[in-house]
Amino acid sequence: MELNIRRALFEGYRALIGSLRFGSRGTIIWDSWDMWLLEIIILPLAQISFFEILATYANYSPAMVQYVVIGNAIQTMSFSSVFAVANITSSDKWQGTLPSILLTPASRASIIMGRALYQIIMSTLISTTGLLYAYFLFGVNFSSANYLFLAVSLLLTSISMISFGLLISTIGLYMRTAMIVANVFLFIGLLVCGVNFPISELPVWLRPLSYVIPLTYGLDAVRLSIAGAGFYAVGIYLLYLVIDGLAVFSMALLLTKTFERLARKSGRLEIY
Amino acid sequence: MSSGEVSRVQVVKASMILTARNFFADPQWVIPSIIAPFVFTLVSLFLFSHVNGPILLYAVLGGGMMGMWGTTVYGSGSSIGFDRWNGTLECTLSAPTPLMWIVLGRVIWNTLEGSINALFILAIGFLWFRVGIGIADPGLFAISTIITFLSLSAFGLLLANIVVLSRKGGFLTNGIEIPVYIATGTMFPIGLLPFFVQGFSFALGPTWGIDAIRKAAIAGYTGLPVSIYVDLLVTVLATVVYMALSAYFFTKVEKIAKRNGTLGDY
Repeated sequence: MELNIRRALFEGYRALIGSLRFGSRGTIIWDSWDMWLLEIIILPLAQISFFEILATYANYSPAMVQYVVIGNAIQTMSFSSVFAVANITSSDKWQGTLPSILLTPASRASIIMGRALYQIIMSTLISTTGLLYAYFLFGVNFSSANYLFLAVSLLLTSISMISFGLLISTIGLYMRTAMIVANVFLFIGLLVCGVNFPISELPVWLRPLSYVIPLTYGLDAVRLSIAGAGFYAVGIYLLYLVIDGLAVFSMALLLTKTFERLARKSGRLEIY
Repeated sequence: MSSGEVSRVQVVKASMILTARNFFADPQWVIPSIIAPFVFTLVSLFLFSHVNGPILLYAVLGGGMMGMWGTTVYGSGSSIGFDRWNGTLECTLSAPTPLMWIVLGRVIWNTLEGSINALFILAIGFLWFRVGIGIADPGLFAISTIITFLSLSAFGLLLANIVVLSRKGGFLTNGIEIPVYIATGTMFPIGLLPFFVQGFSFALGPTWGIDAIRKAAIAGYTGLPVSIYVDLLVTVLATVVYMALSAYFFTKVEKIAKRNGTLGDY
């Protein structure tokens, strides 16, 4: 019994590492230096600039403009953590490799997590660049910032958002593609997660969506870290973030099993 | 009119109809190209909701413009990209008709698709944010919209050149989406932009087009310090320049693509 568990863990670990290597190499080949430049350098600058100018034009106070700048700096990680991760299964379907992958006895969780793990680095890099822009170009005040809390908040937001991307990715197992939903959730955070204005300004019927997406809690934790809030103030949002991230990840695993079973039953794995 | 010209018009028409049929067969694919402008406009409406004056109509018109920009940019990136994906790019380039006319038909439909976003935004602005949709001069508004539409299509055609030679063209055109929203003053006056960006803004026909649309729609709107007719003239001139540049670059790019023989590389 104990031997079986150890063997399963070892095989899961091998699948995870193999998948991580494959995922990162594939991404590095695809994301050549100009793609990196676009994703890490240009996209955050463009998005932050758009909303910063918009908030200035709408006569927002300097504090509120800073709120908008920080919000967008963090939200840009969605390009990597949500969009890229959500398209993992759809890409396999496009390339015709999904049926082969699902024929292997390897743990699905290990395979998918391995492919997504690399995006933790990418999404953290994107948001860090966004925060550097916030400081150097948009005058956000970091004088009171607690950098340790900020780093932890960024990392946990990235991991939780990748779980959210995985949840969307499961749709690609059964439906033709997850790309459409991935596109929607790439940008919907701008509206519902408190990126540009507090969620209290949203209509009540929209707010439940805010509480499901981990970015909402991540943003609170990041803003409090920059404002120099104490351990308990930041910690409560990090706790929410971890709980939400785990819930979303569990849901992703459950849906992977469900959609894989449905796809096998209906023979839809290769339908595209 | 020579038979060659008729043939090219027919190609543009056929290409446009085929793209339209593809759209109606699977309309969900409009979402990736309009979701960004749609959400950006909704956020703008929230941010502007406490500001008095005709700012909401200003934002709704800007949102419509962003929708057309979004589908133009996305469509230009994907029109050749999908050919490459599906393995039909070689056949398309082997046809006796220059590629430019085939792409033009696709780009015109893609820009037209953007008006779907404009309708959504208009409906949300009217029903949710109670935006008054009174147009000051409907005739000039219609003319301005059509000329701006043509200018966007011509710009999309120019962009499509990038994609013929590069497998990454689709991603690059996605990357310029937000910068063009900023540069053309879709949601705020270009006077708020840094000086070096303003030069780029003035070189874009749609910057003048959106200014004309707003002048025709909003009574008392000042915008750029020129009359609406100057706006329209510059938009037309920019469209002609884009078309001429597109014709030149498409000829060059087609030759390079055929000489290198790397069209199918993906």
